[in-house]
Amino acid sequence: MDLNFTKEQENFQIEVRSFLNDNLEPQVVEKVKNGIPITKEDSERWHQKLNEKGWLAGTWPKQYGGQEWDVVEKFIFEEECGSAGAPRIVPFGVGMLAPVLMKFGSLEQRDYWLPRMLTGEDWWCQGYSEPGSGSDLASLKTSAVRHGDYYIVNGQKTWTTFAQHANMIFCLVRTSNEGKPQEGISFILIDMNSPGIEVRSIITLDGSHEVNEIFFSDVKVPAKNLVGEENKGWTYAKYLLTHERTGNANVAVSKRKIQKLKKLADDAKKNEQPLSNDPMFASRLAQIEIDLQNLEITNLRTLASVENGEAPGAESSIIKILGSEIEQDIDNLTRKSLGKRAFVNEPDALSAGYNGAEVFPKAAAYASGKYFNHRKKSIYAGSNEIQKNIISKLMLNL
Amino acid sequence: MDFKPSPERQILFDTLKKYFENEYSLSDRNIAAHSDLGYSKKAWEAMRDLGILESLIDPELDGFGGTALDISTVFEALGRGLVVEPFLEVGILAAKVLSRGNDAQKSLVKKTLENECLPILAHSERDTEYSKSYVETKLSVEADGSYKISGAKRMIKHATEATHFLVTCRNTGDASSEEGISIACIPTDREGIKIDSFATIDGGRVSDLTFTNVSISSEELVGELGMSYSIVSHAIDTGILAICSEALGIMERIKELTLEYLKTRKQFGVPIGKFQAIQHRMAQLLVEIEQARSSVINATIYFDDETEREKTISAAKFSIGKIGTLVAEESIQLHGGMGMTWEYDLGHYAKRLVLIDHEFGDEDFHLQKYISL
Repeated sequence: MDLNFTKEQENFQIEVRSFLNDNLEPQVVEKVKNGIPITKEDSERWHQKLNEKGWLAGTWPKQYGGQEWDVVEKFIFEEECGSAGAPRIVPFGVGMLAPVLMKFGSLEQRDYWLPRMLTGEDWWCQGYSEPGSGSDLASLKTSAVRHGDYYIVNGQKTWTTFAQHANMIFCLVRTSNEGKPQEGISFILIDMNSPGIEVRSIITLDGSHEVNEIFFSDVKVPAKNLVGEENKGWTYAKYLLTHERTGNANVAVSKRKIQKLKKLADDAKKNEQPLSNDPMFASRLAQIEIDLQNLEITNLRTLASVENGEAPGAESSIIKILGSEIEQDIDNLTRKSLGKRAFVNEPDALSAGYNGAEVFPKAAAYASGKYFNHRKKSIYAGSNEIQKNIISKLMLNL
Repeated sequence: MDFKPSPERQILFDTLKKYFENEYSLSDRNIAAHSDLGYSKKAWEAMRDLGILESLIDPELDGFGGTALDISTVFEALGRGLVVEPFLEVGILAAKVLSRGNDAQKSLVKKTLENECLPILAHSERDTEYSKSYVETKLSVEADGSYKISGAKRMIKHATEATHFLVTCRNTGDASSEEGISIACIPTDREGIKIDSFATIDGGRVSDLTFTNVSISSEELVGELGMSYSIVSHAIDTGILAICSEALGIMERIKELTLEYLKTRKQFGVPIGKFQAIQHRMAQLLVEIEQARSSVINATIYFDDETEREKTISAAKFSIGKIGTLVAEESIQLHGGMGMTWEYDLGHYAKRLVLIDHEFGDEDFHLQKYISL
């Protein structure tokens, strides 16, 4: 048993740390650390800095501008970003579509789309869920019918994160109604500026705008935008989902949030004592800390097995369940720790141009909002119930 | 990074696992575990011949193991077998204490390996005090420089067959002070010792001991007078690591038994494992057991780190206590009526798993301890 990083891995960790230290903008970090949504421009500036360093798509092959990071390097990079409060790399292009194009796309598609992801010319979003197809994704109905060199797309996608920023969307569409539902799905790339596309905002319960509905009415899509073969899209989608579900442990982010929560609890008072001395509070906090410590080891065990050549199977489902629930527990306790101040909801309080009353403690600006917003974590990327189905099938063989 | 056990330890684990599967029948175990002796002397000797005790003992005392990883590996296997013989009491608690004693006391460890003696640590007192330093038993110094001890010890496992008691006692300090604790190693036939023994729910006999003016010579103290808390503390921490690992082995075995049941028991024309209500409970158990394993790995890694040991040990014991009870209760529920029977293996595993939470501090105790550290 050996838990240590190699010398090379340690050096890489130091390099990442110093890069983050030199390049992160304090105002953006402040937003990230307080859980306040960052703007499209904040993301784009950060992507550009990472791209200049060659780290926007570190896991990509060198020929496409990546570093060919292995799982441990990817883990180190993400954990360092998490503890430093760096904005999360918007995953839809570099993290999700790119692996699919590299494995299943044509040479022409790879050469055209991959460089544009790095330069930021394209902002991608993901067209998977539909109003009638959530966990049962294979039942999706949005249709694409071939007419000569084009597909004509009709239907509706929903929960589309950042569609309001995106100029491109990768979509699962139905190209056949023959056989099993999974056998009639294709994977296609659609220009969001095409005539017939309408994007409507969905405002979530915390008042923020992350997700959208997209309506497609007779949208013409060039046939060359089909990825791989027609009716093989389900295979590509599943491949993509395994990428989506790795890196959900968020250990560093959760550790940072616990430190912040401890500071809040030290400063708050209950019975003339710091809240952190309250036995009920201390007990809740300690249980989360222990769960997180255990998750850290569980996650490293999974990484080590991938590093040793074992495929990541349903282990990523274990990590997804634990990672999401622990983060939700922290958000829950953070909200509680603010007492009456938890009523406040001023997410703009950390943005430039805010001229309202100062929110104190700053964490209160969006603590309840974030708590409600983060209920999504056990729902998205395959709800935790779907993860349990996967565990039952792949690990328990039930 | 590598979480795999070394090849030697993997072989040790596999050998023990196979041995328990083939040679340690659970029905025989249950008869012995609930007999007047509380375990099987025959099984004890056979397992000693296999070298299990040696694997828990440092090489300088004629063993060939004794590291945190060795102990964790062996006890996970012992847990799988639901072994009731006194490996924890003799191989860990007594051996760790004696290894800090004088030459005569150290030689008792070697004699133990040769099956010539059975030393047992008599430490715990008030039923609801889990603190490692809680000792009321009084040590008084006589005019001639010898000592006498008086007091009561509670819930001492496998005491009836013991040849020696390692009795914690104090000559100074209040009942939970770390200062003033001594350990006396005395033969069990010394005058003034009374043993009341009881049957247990999870197997093995347990005893309340009363010491009334029992005479001790100064050579019988383990370590310095009043300075032995660190010896007891380290032995108990090792014991916690051992039973947490034992619990892991039990949980893995329960997982296997339950999965097998879910795949074979049919209702409404299908195996009950096809029902999502069942699948999700079982998937949750798997997730929790992985977390329990991680907590034990964490405690093993930091075991020799003086600043981190107690905190990671408490985190592990808390995790094992919480998750162990959940696994026991859920597995009985998933087995329906079968889980309620004496004849079927599951219930015996579940009982031991729940009672592990009552040894060396339960989940509440260790959560509080974790907070205080």
